[in-house]
Amino acid sequence: MASSDLKFALFLGCVIPNRYSFIERATKAVFEKFKIELIEMEGASCCPAPGVFRGFDIDTWLVVGARNITIAEELGLDIALMCNGCYGSLLEVNHTLKHDKEKKRMVNEHLAKIGREFKGIAKIRHVLDIMYHDIGPEKIRSRTKYGRKTPLNLNLALHYGCHLIKPRDIRPWNNEVENPTFFDELLEISGCKSLNYRDKFMCCGAGGGVRGAFKELSLDYTREKLENITAAKADAIVTCCPFCHLQFDLGQVEVNNIFKDKISAPFNIPVIYFTQLIGLAMGMKAEELGMIRSPDLKGVPPFTPVKPILTKIGESA
Amino acid sequence: MVKAKNGIKITGREPPKIGVYICWCGINIGGVVDVPKLCDYARSLPGVSLASEYKFMCSDIGQGMIMEDIRAGKVNRVVVASCSPRMHEETFRRACEEGGLNKYLFEQANIREHCTWVTMNDVPGATRIAKDHIRMAIAKAGALKPLEITTVKVEPATLVVGAGIAGINAALDLANSGYKVYLVEKSPTVGGHMAQLDKTFPTMDCSSCITTPKMSEVARNPNIELMTYSEVVSLDGYVGNFQARIEKYPHYIDQDTCTGCGHCVDTCPVETGNEFELGMKPRKAIYLSFPQAVPGEYTIDMNHCIKCGICAEACPTSAVRYDDKPEYVDIKIGTIILATGYDPYDATRMHQYGFGRHKNVINALQMERLLSSYGPTEGKVKRPSDLKEPESIVWVQCVGSRDFTGRGRKYCSRVCCMYATKQARSYKEKHPNAQIFIFYIDLRAFGKGYEEFYMDTAKNYGIKFIRGRVAEILAGKNDNVIIRAEDTTLQRPLELEVDMVVLSIGLEPRADIDDIARIFNVTATKTEDGFLMEAHPKLRPVDTLTEGIFVAGNVVGPKDIPDTVAQAKAAASSASTLMSQGEVEIIPYYATVIDHKCAGCKSCIGLCPFKAITFNEIESVAEINDILCKGCGTCVAACPSKAIVQNHFDDAQILPMIETAIPRKLQKEEVKVE
Repeated sequence: MASSDLKFALFLGCVIPNRYSFIERATKAVFEKFKIELIEMEGASCCPAPGVFRGFDIDTWLVVGARNITIAEELGLDIALMCNGCYGSLLEVNHTLKHDKEKKRMVNEHLAKIGREFKGIAKIRHVLDIMYHDIGPEKIRSRTKYGRKTPLNLNLALHYGCHLIKPRDIRPWNNEVENPTFFDELLEISGCKSLNYRDKFMCCGAGGGVRGAFKELSLDYTREKLENITAAKADAIVTCCPFCHLQFDLGQVEVNNIFKDKISAPFNIPVIYFTQLIGLAMGMKAEELGMIRSPDLKGVPPFTPVKPILTKIGESA
Repeated sequence: MVKAKNGIKITGREPPKIGVYICWCGINIGGVVDVPKLCDYARSLPGVSLASEYKFMCSDIGQGMIMEDIRAGKVNRVVVASCSPRMHEETFRRACEEGGLNKYLFEQANIREHCTWVTMNDVPGATRIAKDHIRMAIAKAGALKPLEITTVKVEPATLVVGAGIAGINAALDLANSGYKVYLVEKSPTVGGHMAQLDKTFPTMDCSSCITTPKMSEVARNPNIELMTYSEVVSLDGYVGNFQARIEKYPHYIDQDTCTGCGHCVDTCPVETGNEFELGMKPRKAIYLSFPQAVPGEYTIDMNHCIKCGICAEACPTSAVRYDDKPEYVDIKIGTIILATGYDPYDATRMHQYGFGRHKNVINALQMERLLSSYGPTEGKVKRPSDLKEPESIVWVQCVGSRDFTGRGRKYCSRVCCMYATKQARSYKEKHPNAQIFIFYIDLRAFGKGYEEFYMDTAKNYGIKFIRGRVAEILAGKNDNVIIRAEDTTLQRPLELEVDMVVLSIGLEPRADIDDIARIFNVTATKTEDGFLMEAHPKLRPVDTLTEGIFVAGNVVGPKDIPDTVAQAKAAASSASTLMSQGEVEIIPYYATVIDHKCAGCKSCIGLCPFKAITFNEIESVAEINDILCKGCGTCVAACPSKAIVQNHFDDAQILPMIETAIPRKLQKEEVKVE
């Protein structure tokens, strides 16, 4: 495969531009190394969030989602995105409209008012899917082999998140929902160890509108996950979704406050996005990957410092 | 041809006088379409000399109508418009024959299954379809030709493939009826899975105690030629006259010289997993499967042997032959019984249960070996991680069965509820204080004495039956296992930490079922579940669609021991029925080659699924063996020079049907093509 030919429309979603622009930065930087071009989607809106929007009004969700997809269709590109929520939303909107003529007609009636039309020609791809299936573990391995002088050698707690793997029939993971390993395989290329912790496939607590509606309940999930991750002695949590990222990162601060009496010690586990880790393994600098905040970078720094792992791997500035 | 009782013999070479008989089938047909009007319609069609109707054409009176008309010389072709030919074709054919007409001058129009049952709410539509069917049947009837039935002699010998409890029983029954039986078994010993089991439900009698006498009986019976460590590699011929080639794997030990002293085993330096013990006990590269193995033949496993020569030195009778070669034996048989059994479901495919990842998650067949008094732990169940006797065990039901996710099988494996109950009870008998749980979806106790066995176990043994499919199995502390499930009776999620988990794995088609189907030409009978399909699920449960080949036991689908034995005996009975007749009739639907049209391109030969076509090099034409030919029509359609004609389905018969199905006039006026 000539990876230089690859080009995707990059869909940002809401959390990345507003909170974690370093995720976009790291992903773009890593994809550039593999000569994959990521094109901006001008005018893209919220995906819209699968739990919140679809939960209240499916038709609204379909129309807004379809509008986003039409932007990529106009560019003639498939969509690449970095968020499990966006993945779930756009993938399922796309799938529904490709198979339900009635809904497609309804959506296109609305889109016609703004001069757009959903055609159903774009594919929706998670960056993890692109890395695993298009770039492939072999190619990443060859790039990480000479990237760093010393292998990263971290103990990582991976979090797959929900929309990434379920419902399985329209996702590219070979029907595996109970015990998928593709994410672990990808990250172990970096020389790190993916830990097998209790309830690895449990929800982070944020999704489905739970964080919005029942914050304490949502954080109780997070507390349980954090306890299991701590028990496995993880150096860091690795995510592939900005909302999970937020729930672990900001969530740790919140859990430490709300569940003061319930937890034995405050949590302080660095949370990193997987493209940052792959970037590090390939020998990229922490600054390039947004792990050390440069003054010109917008957004907020992580709530839980990532410095401990940078120190551990000798990348600390 | 069978002569009619009254001596009249109508061959059908006269110009057609078609009799049409339309059946009401009570209200099945008569309640939807107007049968008298259909009769009027039939009378209006060319070639029809009379049309009658009756409530039930299949009744004696209905059949009598047909016979009378034939005898009176009113008709020489018969069309019955009624149900599916699968139901009553043979009934009406026999009536024709008795009336004095060649039975292949009969044609049936299916206006029930194909018409009034499926369009019962649309009377005009149903009437139109019924008319179409009747018109087509009449068109074909006019072109029917009388056919002669051929008979072939049956070799009074049977090949039984697989020597598990099914094969053993079938072989013994046939041998005791005086037939020669070749019993071929792939592994070095007979006994199959039943020999691995500890006890049998619901009687709790020792499995090996009831199997081993049968095992030695097959070895002793003078009519049975036992071929263990052998495999059928090819099969030719047809019902009554099969020729099979059997490969006998090399044992690398001369069985005549070997005294079975076992010195070689003691000296062999190579250890590998014992298949019989499911890897829970080592065996040497030179081995005897298990102590009661029949025949007690030692074998060298060449995949593991390092050819060090120590066993050859240790053998007091110099029986070791490293250069042993496979032997091929050709046999002639009249019938075949396939009893190749099943494979236990591979639980590693159910990732959420952690089989293969968690040490103390085992499968139920391993549990059988652990419970068995001659198993790896001599009947003292120990968990694999630390050889501790478990104080708490969970049985997880439906592992690989009743699964619609694609990783398991959709069907119920039928034995797991009972074997789990049996195993749990066995363990509880020896460990009254152990905590035992069985997680089930539905408890299926359908056999004789099964419900009573289940109730007794549940009430008197303190075994907890929890309704709920286990969601996942996690690793706990000290290699314990954590079960997560929902107790659906209490509607509460549940988490339980126990010492050991037993997965009640289902029964699957053998991994080599496709090879079996290919060698025995029963490929076409493979159903969705992967097992071989019987000719009719209810009325021909041990026949296959290939005549002379019967099935017994788990090769057709999961079943318990009583059902397996019953089926084995049924298969033996069917095979002996066929052989006792001495000869069999062959349906004359075979295809024939018109020599002067055949260009000798050979394209038909490779396409024939029944290996019925050979090439005559001298004449340079294809030849079809009319006994092997099953009348599938593949070669007829494929022949580029239209040189192959199939009896009862030739172009002169099929084309008028098509022609009349959509007459040109109708195409324009009535049938609107969308």
